[in-house]
Amino acid sequence: MAREYIAVSIEQSPLTLDEVIVSCRVTREWVVEHVHAGVLLSETPQPPEQWRFSSRDLARVRRILELESRFDANPELAGLVADLFDELERLRARVRRAEEE
Amino acid sequence: MEFKDYYEVLGVKRDATADEIKKSYRKLARKYHPDLSKEPDAEARMKELNEAHAVLSDPEKRAAYDNVGKGFQAGQEFRPPPNWDAGFEFTGGGFSGAEGADFSDFFSELFGGRAGGMGGGMGGRAGRARQSYQARGEDHHAKIELELEDAYRGATRTITLQVPQINDQGRVQVVPRTLDVRIPKGVREGQMIRLSGQGGPGYGGGPAGDLFLEVHFKPHERYRVEERDVYETLPISPWEAALGAQIKAPLPDGTVEVRIPEGSQTGRKLRLRGRGIPGDPPGDLYLVLEVAVPPADTPKARELYERMASELAFNPRKHLGV
Repeated sequence: MAREYIAVSIEQSPLTLDEVIVSCRVTREWVVEHVHAGVLLSETPQPPEQWRFSSRDLARVRRILELESRFDANPELAGLVADLFDELERLRARVRRAEEE
Repeated sequence: MEFKDYYEVLGVKRDATADEIKKSYRKLARKYHPDLSKEPDAEARMKELNEAHAVLSDPEKRAAYDNVGKGFQAGQEFRPPPNWDAGFEFTGGGFSGAEGADFSDFFSELFGGRAGGMGGGMGGRAGRARQSYQARGEDHHAKIELELEDAYRGATRTITLQVPQINDQGRVQVVPRTLDVRIPKGVREGQMIRLSGQGGPGYGGGPAGDLFLEVHFKPHERYRVEERDVYETLPISPWEAALGAQIKAPLPDGTVEVRIPEGSQTGRKLRLRGRGIPGDPPGDLYLVLEVAVPPADTPKARELYERMASELAFNPRKHLGV
């Protein structure tokens, strides 16, 4: 029988700053700059070693990275576009629900 | 293997400047962005664009590509000659092994073994890098579609991933990899789950990276999910709605007895606390009542409806003033 691999939910075990750096191939400075610009993490205890990243935060890091590399967006603009994508997704879900009802 | 004309993909001339390439890439990346584009092949086009951009925006890769592709047209059968890249040194990054998994065989054949930036900053041929570097493998990201019931009970799912691997010649090849994954109970839409050590292989004896799976639920004919809460439409008869009743309702994790309050109407929501997606705290399950009207398809049924019409004097449009 094939080996079974156990998946762990990120919400059970949120990522640390170091794990995000490795996982998303970014520098510590990049993450700190974006946290200070207010585009990543809503809660930022000190020191940064105490920061914890949820599934949503991780997806947001990847999206902002993509926007910056594709369009040379600055952190604030990439954050704004990521917010708009979140809102778009929320509204699309609402439309889907309304269509089902 | 078919030759890919990266200039054609980006819609630029062969002598386009770096600025023209960048502008055209951005314009098309906006047009084919998978989250916005209504084009049916947006995702495939975006991958093509990224691949073309990875090559043409890197002066060394572009020079090597121009050299090997002289006289070739898009779609033409192509095989790079031995030592086609002699004299070129690829040092730039610009794409990762994980992204490289999205690129074509054509790209892998040309640049796969020379992916500058692979493995978190390694330069040069992977074979050479193995001797002098030790690095953790890359984390890989993928999506997984589950049934809602899986979130209630947990489940084992077999997934197949396209994984870039370095072959004996030091080149990157994309190969399918299948693994059985135990999904924890309580996962939600959009949540990521992590498989430790199941990402890209380590370099020079370094540990493997992790695999991150983004969870999505398949559309369900009966249930709708919002965060941890689950909504279910529950049909009831007119007499159950009018008089109230104790009825059975099927839930994702079994059946429950619920009391329908007297005088219920379609759209009324009954909340079952803690019966949504499990967790700490668990979500709630909402039964949305829908009054189903029996057909008047027998003389007896017609007689009953006619009696109701004459004896109940019910006007559902009274509040509309008609």
